[in-house]
Amino acid sequence: MNKQTKTSLDSVASYCYQCVAGPDLMRVDVQEGVPVQIRPNVDAALVHPAHGKVCVKAFGLIQKTNNPNRIQTPMIRTNPRKGRGEDPGFRPATWDEALELICGKLNEARNKGQNDESGFPRVAASFGGGGTPTVYMGAFPAFLKAWGSVDMSFGSGQGVKCHHSEHLYGEFWHRAFTVAPDTPLVEMIISVGTNTEASSGVCGVRRHADARARGVKRVQVEPHLSITGACSAEWIPIRPKTDPAFLFALIHVLLHEVQRDRLDVPFLKARSSSPYLIAPNGFYLRDPATKKPLIWDLTSDSAVPHDTEGADPAIEGEFTATGIEIGPDDKTWQHKAIPARPAFAHLVEHIRQYSPEWAAGICDVKADVIRKTALDYLDHAHVGETIEIDGREMPFRPVAITMGKTVSNGWGGYECAWARTLMAVLIGGLEVPGGTLGTTVRLNRPADNRWSSVVPGPDGFMNYPMNPTRKGEWTEVPSTRHAHQTLVPLAANSPWSQALGPTHLAWMAQKQGFENLPKPTQPDVWFVYRTNPVISFWDTGAIADAIANFPFTVCFAYTHDETNHMADVLLPECTDLEGLQLIRIGGSKYIEQFWEHQGFALRDPAAKPMGEARDFTWISTQLAKGTGLLEEFNTAINKGAAGIRLFGDNFDFSLEPEREHSVEDVWDASCRAASAELTDGAESQGLDYFREHGFRTKPFPKERWYLYPAIVEKGLRFELPYQERLLRIGQELGARLHESGITWWDRQLEEYEALPHFQNLPGLWEDALEKRYDVKIGDYPFWLLTSRSMQYSWGGNVGIQMIHEVAANIAGHGGVMMNPAAARQLGVAEGDWVKISSPTGETEGTVILRQGIRPDTLLMIGQFDHWKTPFAKDLKTPSMNSLTPMMLELTDATGSGADLVRVKVEKTTPKNGGQA
Amino acid sequence: MTRWVFLADLNRCVGCQTCTASCKHTNATGPWVQWRKVLDFEAGEFPDVSRAFVPVGCMHCAEPSCMEVCPTTATRKRDDGIVTIDYDICIGCTYCIQACPYQARFKVDRQNQVYGGGKQMGHEQKRENWSRRGVAQKCTMCSDRIDAGLAEGLTPGIDEMATPACVASCISGALQMGDLDDPNSNVSRLLAKRRHFRMHQELENDPGFYYLYEDADENSTADNPSTDPPEMAAEPAGMATISPRLQTQWDWRAAGNFAFGGTGTGLMAAAMLAGFFAPVMWLAALLAMGFVAMGLFFVWLEIGRPLRFLNVYLNPQTSWMTREAFAVSPFFGLGALAWLLDSHALGLAAALCGLGFVYAQGQVLRFAKAIPAWRQKGIVGLIVSTALCEGFGLLAALSAVAGRETMPGHQAALALAALIAWRFLAWRSYRTALGAAGAPVQAFRVLDGLRLELWHGAALALALYAALGLPGHQAVLGLAGLVAMLAGWHFKLALITRAALNQGYAINRMPARGAGQSSPGVKPGWTRA
Repeated sequence: MNKQTKTSLDSVASYCYQCVAGPDLMRVDVQEGVPVQIRPNVDAALVHPAHGKVCVKAFGLIQKTNNPNRIQTPMIRTNPRKGRGEDPGFRPATWDEALELICGKLNEARNKGQNDESGFPRVAASFGGGGTPTVYMGAFPAFLKAWGSVDMSFGSGQGVKCHHSEHLYGEFWHRAFTVAPDTPLVEMIISVGTNTEASSGVCGVRRHADARARGVKRVQVEPHLSITGACSAEWIPIRPKTDPAFLFALIHVLLHEVQRDRLDVPFLKARSSSPYLIAPNGFYLRDPATKKPLIWDLTSDSAVPHDTEGADPAIEGEFTATGIEIGPDDKTWQHKAIPARPAFAHLVEHIRQYSPEWAAGICDVKADVIRKTALDYLDHAHVGETIEIDGREMPFRPVAITMGKTVSNGWGGYECAWARTLMAVLIGGLEVPGGTLGTTVRLNRPADNRWSSVVPGPDGFMNYPMNPTRKGEWTEVPSTRHAHQTLVPLAANSPWSQALGPTHLAWMAQKQGFENLPKPTQPDVWFVYRTNPVISFWDTGAIADAIANFPFTVCFAYTHDETNHMADVLLPECTDLEGLQLIRIGGSKYIEQFWEHQGFALRDPAAKPMGEARDFTWISTQLAKGTGLLEEFNTAINKGAAGIRLFGDNFDFSLEPEREHSVEDVWDASCRAASAELTDGAESQGLDYFREHGFRTKPFPKERWYLYPAIVEKGLRFELPYQERLLRIGQELGARLHESGITWWDRQLEEYEALPHFQNLPGLWEDALEKRYDVKIGDYPFWLLTSRSMQYSWGGNVGIQMIHEVAANIAGHGGVMMNPAAARQLGVAEGDWVKISSPTGETEGTVILRQGIRPDTLLMIGQFDHWKTPFAKDLKTPSMNSLTPMMLELTDATGSGADLVRVKVEKTTPKNGGQA
Repeated sequence: MTRWVFLADLNRCVGCQTCTASCKHTNATGPWVQWRKVLDFEAGEFPDVSRAFVPVGCMHCAEPSCMEVCPTTATRKRDDGIVTIDYDICIGCTYCIQACPYQARFKVDRQNQVYGGGKQMGHEQKRENWSRRGVAQKCTMCSDRIDAGLAEGLTPGIDEMATPACVASCISGALQMGDLDDPNSNVSRLLAKRRHFRMHQELENDPGFYYLYEDADENSTADNPSTDPPEMAAEPAGMATISPRLQTQWDWRAAGNFAFGGTGTGLMAAAMLAGFFAPVMWLAALLAMGFVAMGLFFVWLEIGRPLRFLNVYLNPQTSWMTREAFAVSPFFGLGALAWLLDSHALGLAAALCGLGFVYAQGQVLRFAKAIPAWRQKGIVGLIVSTALCEGFGLLAALSAVAGRETMPGHQAALALAALIAWRFLAWRSYRTALGAAGAPVQAFRVLDGLRLELWHGAALALALYAALGLPGHQAVLGLAGLVAMLAGWHFKLALITRAALNQGYAINRMPARGAGQSSPGVKPGWTRA
């Protein structure tokens, strides 16, 4: 238990969790009631992985809090017509009036039934920031829980701006919602488009800085020289969206160009599916009695179930074996004395075609460079070595491969995620010290414990909560507007699953509908918090049109913005430094938060709310009261919906369910429960304690950073390289969809391969755009990409002047980046005003020349093009979101799309007076 | 002794700007005022490109050129090496800004208010610092934290509460500070085992900011400090904020002081020299004083704290601006007395003071280390010769208008021709030296675009024609004088307001990142010509 020193009266403890890489701990200095300064929390230096530091975004909170552009009273729309060109005519209202209006709409909806005629929830909610709004919305999750059926499928960037394939496949293979190197021990990282230094928060930045200081070799594979590329030992400027070829070629080198014993053969035999014999239809050959997959035991020279004690499995060769094969929907084949090869042998054969020479032409990277990268990886892998962590001996494999968005989502995401994870498996480097690690789980349960989520499943692998695809079990009628349970088995059905479904399908459905899915209705009431999909999603014009059709939208509003322009009610909530909340901290969590402690941190108000802004927990309580759900609301809080369960084996601080509780009472009870949880019920200090100390932790064993011990303890294998399960559910899903008359998802079904094939991804994009928009792709010669900015990402801070000011020090902000040679060919110079057009839209901005970008590539950092948000609307910064189409053809099987598009550039004169 | 210095490990820095933001919070600086910031460098050509992030700010130099030029002694250096500014003394002349080659100094004339609407935000109101309005401001190295920390027995650079906010907030561990004079300090130990450079070391300010760029090779005999000059890149891509930029502190008003001050003092000298040949033309002398007064008035309009202007006299030991002020005072006193007493001798004394004034003006530019086109050797001779050309030229023009000869015609013409020739040689000498030393590309473009050869040629031809004593020679001489004077103004206006690109930034070596190698640095926006 850590006890921190007493803090000064003018300093308030808080946390910054504006981005998914948090939370980080800080202090807010307050002068005569006004927050004036953010500073690191030095008291947290010993427990926080980045020594109690916060990044630049946290420093924006002072202006964010005191910003005169804030919405300061509830506001009600007076103009019933909605749209970008309509003046909403917002008028100030009292809280009573606003809440009465909202609760009236909610009660009206509830009286009609929680779900509408299409079976979709009448209430919808959208939150941005990769799940971070939860740590600012107080007890609102308890209200949603009390309400019941809520559709969260209207995304604001989920699936298209995240590591979507990594999230789904990562959780499937190694409980890795996000993936990170074991940076403190790693020697070499192949970073395929990962922008660690911009988007992995202070913990990631510090860990990698320390790694560089001890000489880590990081190779950045990316079309432009990003912040992370700048901080890497080497930069390989790969052609956009050809990453699978690069990764397949790395595997080729390891499988076909080095001695087999340089790989971690014992790991492959014991901890992977490599020895499983494959039957003729592509499914495992199984023991007829137990239905367990068979392996070929070299000791007994016979086929035995995979978990036979003392067996020495073959991973290569061909053997004659007898067994059964089980396909989709339990279709079974009997096989007698057939030739069968282990999965690994199939892999070797499958990869033979993907040589470095083959990849070189695709990736525009020399074969020698690819080969050297692979061999360097192997040289640094230390195959055979071990290390002791917390007294436990584990393999030591200090190499890792990481991936960025656009690599790890959309078409190709599966291939890349598979290849990356397989590269770790081949050298025994998955979930071991130094290697490739998962950070947290979001789809599996329990969400706060990776080890406990390791539950034995079929065939010697971990269980996974797939959405069912078997006949009779499949969700034929979706309960959400993006149909995640119907279309995406891997999305599972946890509280996070809706956000990990194909969220752009919900928007696309509003425009066009999908054959044989229920009619795409609008939600009766839509709640919006910390998100601005009219800016942050794709095809932003269509998003705005869809939102304008929603009958009743409630936005928890910071300032006016492009989405709440269409709202019916604006509610000003206490923002980061004004609200009260307790959250969990520590353990291991994305992006690189690997703590040796775990516990809780308080967000203590540093200022009185500006104007009529109200604490989110108060608003939630009033909504619960106004809808007659107070008892359910309090019960949900008691059960942990606000972040911590208020009762346990030896403590109970539950709120009285029938009574309305003050904000401080709710969090005081939470603080007491937190104290009790951390001390096994021995202590029960409440809000005052946390106000004084800011946070409270207990140790978190470092060995739990690694999944390997849990896998070994339960005698399980990682489900690689062969994807028999995916092959089966893909075929089952196809059958179900076809039985329902749905054929528009057929292309996505092709992703369910046991061993993924390379597909020409650039060609896929080019063909899709040509066919859909009847254009010649040659007229759009550039690939347009985006990149995260540490100053802006997830911050909702485009209206903060200081952020704009300091971000301007980093090249690329505020314009479109292009290579000087490409610019010369177009007759374009630094600072010129250009129009960038895709087949679907256009945006304008200034040219920023940099040598660190491929001549066939353009880059626009961040997400801009604002037309309503104060301050941001005057920045005149281009954004690719208005250029990127939402297309089914460019949606992969996990329901995600990759963030890139083909564009052309023309010099033009600025509209409305030009650049900012 | 103690010398506090900064150190940045370029292998660690990621350009996140947390230090920038932290500094802005701690010091409540106004919009776009960044005492600390991190630059984004790029070197090489696709695909062999490297990129580096380089924190900059006040380097707390051991030989601070800002302090040397400060006319008020507002800028001082503490015994522990921290360079400070006394806001209560500073007059806001911004000469220190022109002397700081690291662009570390700012002057803000308005209240801090980042959003419109006429009202400051709460924190802006609470932290408004009026003493900093209209005067020079820069990084203090958080000396208040250092002093308070030391008083509590803490160690700056180690204990966060005694450490500058930028260092304390640095998320990557790149920024450090410590005692350079202590061989066991954190910074001394790092400098002993890592290769490093200091920015613009050739300017000999002995800056107190060290940049680590790679591990020292244990087998190498090379010193850890690298003095390799960075490579000039005339047309850098995407480094507009790093490349030299036009100084904006001294505008037409400052240029007016150089133009009118030069013309006035030159005119006084010419008038008094002519007094050896004919009765002194007191109108010219009065006009000379008027010109100088006008120039000084312009400057007074430009300084941030005009009511404190007398503080300009506080630093005759090192500041040429103070010396300029000291020279101009007797110029007016003696000149006025000479006129009142009709004393040629006193007039000559005034003229000498005037020459001292214009010489000091030249030196003011020479010591403006931030501006390569000003600090170039030869600038003093160019400024003095220009002043004399202007003065003699104006006297010739006045004589032509007045219809009286202040000197025998051919002697006046020959004198003017000689001055023009001298000035031309001074210009060529200056320009050649600047070309050899290198300067911002845009400075060359401006200077070469002035076509001074044509101006000099025209004035010289006219003066020589007048020397021949042919009909109309007096009018031609007046015209020659006018051209010579306008040529001077044309040059000075451009020199002060358009050719005054600052030093910009440079990186001597691009850092090794992790297992990578360091590579040649870059000095963007510079060339030799």
